[in-house]
Amino acid sequence: MVEQLDSLAKEFNDKIKLLSDEAEVLNLKSEFLGKKGKVSEILKGLRNCSDEEKKIIGPKANQLKDDISEKVALKLQEFELIQINTKLKENQIDLNNRESLWFNKNITGGIHPRSIIQREIEDVFLSMGFEVLDGPHIEDEFHNFEALNIPGDHPARDMQDTFWFNDPKSPEGKKHLLRTHTSTIQIRGMRERKPPFRFIAPGTVFRCERTDASHEMVFNQLEGMMVGEDISVGNLIYFMKTLLKEIFKKDTEVRLRPGFFPFVEPGFELDIQCLICSGKGCSVCKKTGWVELLPCGMVHPNVLEAGGIDSSKYNGFAFGLGLDRLVMMRYGIDDIRHLNSGDLRFNTQFSAF
Amino acid sequence: MLISLDWIKDFSPLENTLTPNELGLKLTMGTAEVEGVETINMFWKEVKTVEVTHIEGHPEADKLNLVTFKLNDKESFRVVCGASNVRMGMKTVFAPIGTTLPIGFTLEPKKIRGIISEGMLCSEEELGLATDSPGIMDLPEDTPVGVDLLTLWGKKEDVVFDIDNKSLTHRPDLWGHFGLAREFSALYEVPFNSPFNEFWIKNIESMFTKDSAPMGVQVDPGSSCLAYFGISLDNVVVGESPRWIKDRLLAVGLRPINNIVDISNYVMLELGIPLHIFDRDLIEGKNVQIKSLNESITFTTLDEVERTLIAGDTVISDSKKPLVLAGIMGGLNSGVTESTTKIFIEVANWKAAEVRKTSTRLGLRTDSSMRYEKTLDSQLCYRSLLRTIELIKQLCPDVSVIGKPQYDGNNLEDFKPLVIKASVEEITKTLGKEISTHKIIDILERLDFKVSKGDESLLITVPSNRSTKDIECQADIIEEIGRVIGYDNITPVGPLLDVGPVRLNPLHILKRKAQDFLSQHSHAFEVTSYPMVGESLLKRAQWTDQLESLKLINSLSVEQDRMRDSFIPSFLEIAALNSKTYENFRFFELGKTYHFTEDKFSEEKFILGLSFYSRKSNPILDLLNHVERLGNFLNLPMDIVEKQPKFKNNVVDESWLGLHPYEFRNLRIMGKMDGAVFGVHPLILKTFKIKGNLAMAFIDLTQFEKRELKDKLSYRPLSKFPSSRFDYTVCLNKDQSVEDIFNALKKVKMGVEATHKIVDIYNPDNLEKFVTMGTFLSDSEKTLEGSLIKECEEKIINSLEKASIFLKKG
Repeated sequence: MVEQLDSLAKEFNDKIKLLSDEAEVLNLKSEFLGKKGKVSEILKGLRNCSDEEKKIIGPKANQLKDDISEKVALKLQEFELIQINTKLKENQIDLNNRESLWFNKNITGGIHPRSIIQREIEDVFLSMGFEVLDGPHIEDEFHNFEALNIPGDHPARDMQDTFWFNDPKSPEGKKHLLRTHTSTIQIRGMRERKPPFRFIAPGTVFRCERTDASHEMVFNQLEGMMVGEDISVGNLIYFMKTLLKEIFKKDTEVRLRPGFFPFVEPGFELDIQCLICSGKGCSVCKKTGWVELLPCGMVHPNVLEAGGIDSSKYNGFAFGLGLDRLVMMRYGIDDIRHLNSGDLRFNTQFSAF
Repeated sequence: MLISLDWIKDFSPLENTLTPNELGLKLTMGTAEVEGVETINMFWKEVKTVEVTHIEGHPEADKLNLVTFKLNDKESFRVVCGASNVRMGMKTVFAPIGTTLPIGFTLEPKKIRGIISEGMLCSEEELGLATDSPGIMDLPEDTPVGVDLLTLWGKKEDVVFDIDNKSLTHRPDLWGHFGLAREFSALYEVPFNSPFNEFWIKNIESMFTKDSAPMGVQVDPGSSCLAYFGISLDNVVVGESPRWIKDRLLAVGLRPINNIVDISNYVMLELGIPLHIFDRDLIEGKNVQIKSLNESITFTTLDEVERTLIAGDTVISDSKKPLVLAGIMGGLNSGVTESTTKIFIEVANWKAAEVRKTSTRLGLRTDSSMRYEKTLDSQLCYRSLLRTIELIKQLCPDVSVIGKPQYDGNNLEDFKPLVIKASVEEITKTLGKEISTHKIIDILERLDFKVSKGDESLLITVPSNRSTKDIECQADIIEEIGRVIGYDNITPVGPLLDVGPVRLNPLHILKRKAQDFLSQHSHAFEVTSYPMVGESLLKRAQWTDQLESLKLINSLSVEQDRMRDSFIPSFLEIAALNSKTYENFRFFELGKTYHFTEDKFSEEKFILGLSFYSRKSNPILDLLNHVERLGNFLNLPMDIVEKQPKFKNNVVDESWLGLHPYEFRNLRIMGKMDGAVFGVHPLILKTFKIKGNLAMAFIDLTQFEKRELKDKLSYRPLSKFPSSRFDYTVCLNKDQSVEDIFNALKKVKMGVEATHKIVDIYNPDNLEKFVTMGTFLSDSEKTLEGSLIKECEEKIINSLEKASIFLKKG
């Protein structure tokens, strides 16, 4: 009987290989496992066997039954798969037809390139313990000039072409204007704080200047200030280098040279090595290899006093960064006027996704 | 300002091995920004002396000659020449092909009337030596041939530095070569050689005579005059300046005129103080008077422009008429001419602010006014006066001084030098670099400060020309040390700081969240537009401008002459621009609007604006949905309500013609209508040539600048009992809104928790629509009984019927 079972298994295996549809498989299954099937017949014959034979043949026959059932199920799944796949092929979707290839699908959006850079800088300074502040655009002479050590007859007022308001009611020296720099926030920031403190202040500023590819009458700066005991020029350079390394993602060569700004003393211009020519000299850096990036310096004692801070006890540094200039440098934008144009052909280039 | 290195070397013995670029960089890093470095006079090596050997008429032109000349024994050239003074044997100047003339013209091989010209014989004008010349240069007979003019005239190559004027704003002492030479000497640690010593002074003073001065000086204390020196000289011979003066003036961009005018410019460029020289015969009376005008007059300045002076402007006058506009420019009526023999020299100092005020008003900025407005030092006027006399004596040996200098103005003896107390410890601590006391003193002394050591500090006497405005306190001394040491030699070091948590403030958090949501969820792009607008835009937008008071008095254009009180006109402009390119777009802006207030002058609101445009469909509902979600995202306590006559909208004037009559919703925030969502009226769209549909939303977020918005998320335990849902379809006529269904449902008291949502809307025609509603009932305590659900159904139907909303029939 054992041989019978072995030959049945062989017979089944040979037959199932040749089958080509579901019905044939089901027929084969009943041929072997049906009530009158070949395996069942053998099992019926078991009654006549000795107990010892039963012990051997019984499990073997059951094993054969299980094998056949499993192979039938596999064979059936094979046919089903072919059937489904044929249908799927008919309903195939063109996976290359993605939104990104389409005209006029509102699939992207993005923040202004200035906001991208501003966030990066804010995050660098936040991580170093600086707060982020802002102040009003419409200021008075005190905050924009006097408090920043720029008295009425100071030649520095020539450097800043100020937009003035029609303001007949305010007394001389208190006239209203559009702030020409974010340094106004130094005064506001100092008056609301007790040293030590440090903050940055990104914001819009205004200059009465003819607009061209590199000049805007409305542009953005980022002011920074740190006040405490024993703040040094070395500290200032440290923060500036850290900032530039974070922004440009590499160690940037910088140089500090004297610069005149009434609200700092000593005052510096910080230049970075030209990113276009790596310092070799090109049209962007006017062949000098350096690009003027930010004015900075140690806060003038008069400015500290105007901010309500005892200049004999505390000192500090301040800097101002041309945010729009930095955005232009970072993305290679050739015309500053694009920034405020509202022309989406510009803005859509800065998709967030 | 242009600076000649050759001139600098009169006072500062700089090594010849230093390259021009090295010198420029040193000055940039230590003193003032050098914007350009140029080696000049190379040109004079290219032009050479020649002798004319043959002249014949041009066959094609009467007035032209063919001139042959020899450069040396081997080389001869022929050029076409139009000069009438050309003659055989003449020694003149030849510029070969390829030479670029000082007038900016490069010689190229060129046929003139059919005959090739091998270069050019030059006139003084063409060589930039004169403004006008009758013919080609006629050199003396004994001039050697074939020699370049640099050698012939003993000219030197020179280096010219172009210094950014702005970086000299605070340094009146650097507006002359003498002052800058001191900087070079300090930066390179070489001696500084000032010829202007006691001996020099005595030597020039020996020219003074006991005669009474023919011209006196009277300063009215009400004028802008601080100090006025005047001296009279006779037997002056006006003529051409010697080459060395001309060369130096030309090197720094000044045109030589005559010896006297050139000297006045030379002394100004050397010592930094402007001066003026009068033809004394043109001064009427025996005095010059310095006073401020009582009334408006007209005055013709040297540049032959008639200018209106007003009361308060200071002028120098004789007994009859004004002669000079103080500190700015002389008059046409008293200047030195070729026939002048008697002169009067003025070296004066004026109040910076007044010079600046007048020159700004007249739009007349001169070499003189530029210097005076930096605040010059009266103490140094006398030195300039002596230097002027010295040079005139040198150029006109027969000149005689009549009397001695006349002076009026502040008493110069009263001057007390400023002494600053500075601590070495504080200097080194602030710079963040160890510097020895010895080094600090050395630097200061090289810069003309006098230093004495006190107990714990240095007592530093500031030179008078540094204390007019520049050096005032210890911080200024720190700068002097720092810049000479070189800021690049300071090591960057992090400060020792207290550590504490730092977060963005509520405004910045809000801003970032809105930017993220609108860009990533709403697929909108952030823009920024101009905070200023103009009348023509407002007119097109039919926007009533309430900002007369927030108008600029010096706007650059009428298009941007006042602050905006709303984003709407700007948004219309942006939409118009982009509707030409895109069929659909969405944009937003976070910015400010500006409002006049009586007490504070102005108030600024922080506004979020969002706009959706579609050429084909109407985006208003999309916009409203996005605004609702944005409100949830920002945790704004905001709800969307219809127009309410009693509560005015705060961000949009509801009477504005541009509002769509049916597409408007208020955004109510903490009880106030601080936002609006609306469609723009087709009439306005037509004005802006926008085809399609445009919707806008604005939210005033000003009050959240300082107030953090609380997270509204909360958790409720999950119910253990199943909820129940039943659907029903109602019919709405064209005057009814889905809101009517919800309002009716709100009135039903279910006794269990109920939520109602729209399942579907079927809209077979415009007259009526069928709305399928789903109501979800749940009870967290128990399973809902069938009878209760039935009861709820009936309540709902009753309530809807009361509101004239009926179940769909059949």
